[in-house]
Amino acid sequence: MVELKLSETGSGAEESEFSENEQEIANTSGGDDVSTGGVEHAPQDHGVTDNGDFQQEEDQNESDEDRHGVEESDSSEDEVAPLNTVGEVPLVWYKDEEHIGYDITGKKIKKKERQDKLDSFLASADDSKNWRKIYDEYNDEEVELTPHETKLIRKLLKGQAPHANFDPYAPYVDWFAWEDSKHPLSSAPEPKRRFIPSKWETKKVVQYVRAIRKGLIKFDKPKEEPRVYHLWGDDSSSKEKAAHGLAYIPAPKPKLPGHDESYNPSLEYIPTQEEINSYQLMFEEDRPKFIPKRFTSLRSVPAYEKAVSESFERCLDLYLCPRARKKRINIDPESLKPKLPSRKNLKPYPTTCYLEYRGHKGAVLSISTEASGEWIASGSSDGTVRVWEVETGRCLRIWELGEAVQHVAWNPSPDLPILAVSAGQDVFILNTGFGNEEDQKRVKVLLHVETHPEPDDSSQCNKASVVGWAQDARHEGVRLKHFKTVSSVEWHRKGDYFSTVMPTDILLAIKAILIHQLSKKVTQRIPFKLHGLPVSSTFHPTRSVFFVSTKKNVRVYDLLKQKLVKKLETGFREVSSIAIHPGGDNVIVGSRDGKMAWFDMDLSSQPYRVLKCHPKDITSVAFHRSYPLFASCSDDCTAYVFHGMVYSDLNQNPLIVPLEILRGHTSANGRGVMDCKFHPRQPWLFTAGADSVIRLFCH
Amino acid sequence: MPKHYRPPGKKKEGNAARYITRSQAVKHLQVSLPVFRRLCILKGIFPREPKKKVKGNHHTYYHTKDILFLKHEPLLEKFRDIRAYDRKVKKALSKKNRDLAERLLTRKPDYTLDMLIRERLNLNDHFVYTAFLASIRSLYLQITMFGTLVGIFVLSLLFILRLRLSHEWQAYISRTHKLRKTFISVKGIYYQVEVEGQKVTWLTPHALQQVVPEGVDYNIMLTFLEFYETLLAFVNFKLYHSINVKYPPILDPRLEALAADLYALARFIDANSKVPALESQSVSSSGSEQAEAQQKGSELDESELRLAQLQHQLPSNEPGALMHLMENASGEEEDDEETRECKALFKNTKFFLSREVPRESMLFVIPAFGGVVSWEGEGAPFDESDQSITHQIVDRPTQGHRFLSREYVQPQWVYDSVNARIILPVEEYLVGRVPPPHLSPFVDNEAEGYVPEYAETIRRLQVAARKEVLPMPGLGKEDLDDPQNLLAEGIISRAEAIEAAEKKQKMSFLQKQYLDELKMELNGVQYSADSSANKQNSAEETKAGEESLPESQQDADDAANLSTVLMSRRKRRLLEAMEIGKKRKKDHVGLLKERKKNIEAKKSG
Repeated sequence: MVELKLSETGSGAEESEFSENEQEIANTSGGDDVSTGGVEHAPQDHGVTDNGDFQQEEDQNESDEDRHGVEESDSSEDEVAPLNTVGEVPLVWYKDEEHIGYDITGKKIKKKERQDKLDSFLASADDSKNWRKIYDEYNDEEVELTPHETKLIRKLLKGQAPHANFDPYAPYVDWFAWEDSKHPLSSAPEPKRRFIPSKWETKKVVQYVRAIRKGLIKFDKPKEEPRVYHLWGDDSSSKEKAAHGLAYIPAPKPKLPGHDESYNPSLEYIPTQEEINSYQLMFEEDRPKFIPKRFTSLRSVPAYEKAVSESFERCLDLYLCPRARKKRINIDPESLKPKLPSRKNLKPYPTTCYLEYRGHKGAVLSISTEASGEWIASGSSDGTVRVWEVETGRCLRIWELGEAVQHVAWNPSPDLPILAVSAGQDVFILNTGFGNEEDQKRVKVLLHVETHPEPDDSSQCNKASVVGWAQDARHEGVRLKHFKTVSSVEWHRKGDYFSTVMPTDILLAIKAILIHQLSKKVTQRIPFKLHGLPVSSTFHPTRSVFFVSTKKNVRVYDLLKQKLVKKLETGFREVSSIAIHPGGDNVIVGSRDGKMAWFDMDLSSQPYRVLKCHPKDITSVAFHRSYPLFASCSDDCTAYVFHGMVYSDLNQNPLIVPLEILRGHTSANGRGVMDCKFHPRQPWLFTAGADSVIRLFCH
Repeated sequence: MPKHYRPPGKKKEGNAARYITRSQAVKHLQVSLPVFRRLCILKGIFPREPKKKVKGNHHTYYHTKDILFLKHEPLLEKFRDIRAYDRKVKKALSKKNRDLAERLLTRKPDYTLDMLIRERLNLNDHFVYTAFLASIRSLYLQITMFGTLVGIFVLSLLFILRLRLSHEWQAYISRTHKLRKTFISVKGIYYQVEVEGQKVTWLTPHALQQVVPEGVDYNIMLTFLEFYETLLAFVNFKLYHSINVKYPPILDPRLEALAADLYALARFIDANSKVPALESQSVSSSGSEQAEAQQKGSELDESELRLAQLQHQLPSNEPGALMHLMENASGEEEDDEETRECKALFKNTKFFLSREVPRESMLFVIPAFGGVVSWEGEGAPFDESDQSITHQIVDRPTQGHRFLSREYVQPQWVYDSVNARIILPVEEYLVGRVPPPHLSPFVDNEAEGYVPEYAETIRRLQVAARKEVLPMPGLGKEDLDDPQNLLAEGIISRAEAIEAAEKKQKMSFLQKQYLDELKMELNGVQYSADSSANKQNSAEETKAGEESLPESQQDADDAANLSTVLMSRRKRRLLEAMEIGKKRKKDHVGLLKERKKNIEAKKSG
């Protein structure tokens, strides 16, 4: 309805609108403060009206507008009327004209006279308000901005709302009237929860309260306790026992640096270039960890590249290394050596080489002294047996046996000057031809073998199959044919029996040791079981006891009772030789690992003392018959002489003192001294060398 | 029946029961291997070597009791808590529960190692008279480690704190003049101090960026560091208390900022230890004292610092304070001869350090021997133009501007003087020269069998400095008063008197001989000529012997061999080992002598 009215009174309305427009222009140009609010409103409302959706609103607004417009026009009526009415056309169109447009009555508005630049500049310089002046191109006039306007501009420049009183965050006023709206957005009734306090909030609060009460949430900061204090205040606690009763082993301290670790060590601590190069050839673990270096000034010392890794290794050592207490012995090495009685008091003993017996072509494998001590016999690998005069070194007799002589042995009885010689598989009993005629006669009888009784006796047959007794015409003696190589021949003290040893394999071990009786020309096996390979055998010097040494141990048999008396455990890998003390209770055993064991048979079956003297195999050991001496010889070309005193008092242990190392032999084919024997009367020692020389060492 | 069969119901016994392997131990304690490691380090548990290794050779064995000991450690439970806590935080964060996570972060479980230190150091050395000494003894690694790690993590605040700990330690040493030996090696600078009769040696690396190697588990090192840090803090506390200084010290922030920690600490200690004296002077109330202090405090910020310290000291203003003073005074008296000697070494010297000189080390060493020191830079007590400076320490090829009143020496001079305990002549150490060899003070030259040339020179200088005849080698400083007097007094028995008389006779003879030698030396007779003369005298005697030298040599060998024949295997092996060691030593000395000879030949030739 209102609209209709408007349309009816179109011209009037238009007019009024028009006037409004005019006002607008005037406002902008005139700069009225009050009107500006209206001016702003106006275009907004126009926008709404353009939409035309809400007719009523529009009307209302328009009426509002009218009201405003009227009021404003009232206020602006007094001011100068706006001039130019050309509207929004490009001003270029009027560039060349003399007027700038038309006023409201349609008259041309003349352009003002232009000041030339100099004048305008001077004027502006004179005028203090010049900065406020703006040239209005549209109306062709200068406008001076009021302070209020400048404030507005400033606000706009800052991006704020221009009006001072405008509040951008004003509470929202919902102008929409919900109550009487026909179609509300949601018709649901207001829920109950809008009116009662939240349950979950309560729960949360309760939770917090509980947490605070429990002390989980703390508001006041905990009081700072001092980090350090008097920890070792009372010494009472220091007497506590270790908590778990185990011994604490402190870590070893690192070694302190020596001169070579200095940044500027003496020149002699620095290895030469060749030495440094030679380190490269060493094994990694032998290589020195630290190579000294020299810097001529402190400023040139670089950072040590292994600092961190060494520190880390120390850490690892501290917590990863198993610790154990090791006793570090700090003693003088001399104190380790046993105190020995002076050697001077133990004289006489052989010390220097007195004589050499030369003549053999091969290694002398064995020697033997005659009971009187005037002669020695020697057997060599060149197949000869020689008899020498001791004092002159003259060779008296030579037997050519054709095979390497393993062992020679003089008959111990002084009235039987015969030799037992083992060469290859044969054992010869040789007549030396010494002694008076009576002796010779007896010897010849003894060495005569009857050949015929052999086939008669069947019981002998078995033994004969082992050994054959035969007359040896060539050497004027007896020849015993064995089935294997005989390594040693030993006489009984009375000179009638002798034993031979054949080191054979284990199956034949039972036949390996034979005892022969010269007077009856009978051979018998020993009636005992041997455990191990036999090496050598000897008779006891006084009693009827027989010693057999196998590779590992020595067995002692009583021949009368025919039983095993004792077994001596040597503990050696391979026994090579054995010798019995003339008293008969002490035995020395030499081995191929260079050790010698002294057994006291009354004491135990274990060695009383083990002497490690030779670096190579011991080939032979020997006791002196009367002096307290014993000797060992070895492949290292030396012979050791010991003092070995055996006391009659059973409580006193034997005294063993090493006396002398005898040198002189040279090595041949890796063998050194092959045999050693004492002189029966004098403290002299004969040694037979692989260099085919026999030496006599005297005191 | 298998070999290891054990009837049911019968317990394990022997080594099988006593030792368990590491993996068994870890399983038994229900921890992870890193935690087990950590525990072992902190508790000082180490593997042991059982006589019979039941599980085989390639296992690490721990004693069962050790493991049980770990099992009852409260720290174990703490570590479990921390693990659970870490999981809680992680879970909260992953569920985006910021509130919970933040709340948890405020409640991080914490642990201290105090009791552990107490327990370990009592336990380790319960036979030593105090546990404290033990703690001092184990300081070595840690100070060294501080240095090394500080080199790596220069910027980490944590490590700066730790560096401060070691500075505090150094400040104490320097203040009490306990430093005994120093040595610049390629690895760093070694210091040896003697605290409460215990010798502690440590190494500080050269102040350069360290090489960070791969394959180093820093967690392990950090665990060690954690323990030793706590230990050092407690030790420092005790030491500072023993000289009546508050701990932890409050430092001048200006000096601290200039990284002159050590100097700041020294000043703090000086200021602090003077306090009791001040207190005793003013018997008046604390208020007046404060006023007095305030008067002084108006001077500079330095005195402000002291004011703060004074206020800390106030509670001690009780009758006990006087006692402390007494103790302090008696403590000064108690200084042993060595300390007094050390204190007086650089008494009348004033040092100035150039820029390039390692300042930290110098600031430690020089005051420890009674010297006054300043440096080029801010916060220095006096500057280069000070006329009273006697020595300027310079490490550059040439020195431009020189003051005539002072000597320009290289840093090595300080260290060598300190080791020799005399002020060495500076000629050889002047700027631009190659200094004489720097020798280790930790080596006993006589025992080593080789005396370097410069060591001999220093010994002569020492003798000259003391202006007395060197004590005879080999004879102790026994009281050699007339034994007859002592006998009369009934102090010693007759036998002892005879022995002493003999000794005296021998001594006088030796002394006479020695004096003769000295006289000859003074007369200009060369040592070599002297010895050759001696040789001539004895030549006639030995002539006969020399002819049969090989034989006699053989005889000697034989004699030595013969006595070894009778030895038991064990002793023989021991002897052999000793001889090998001896030979190695001799070879080393021989090598040194040969090199020396070569060098001299090259020089002359």
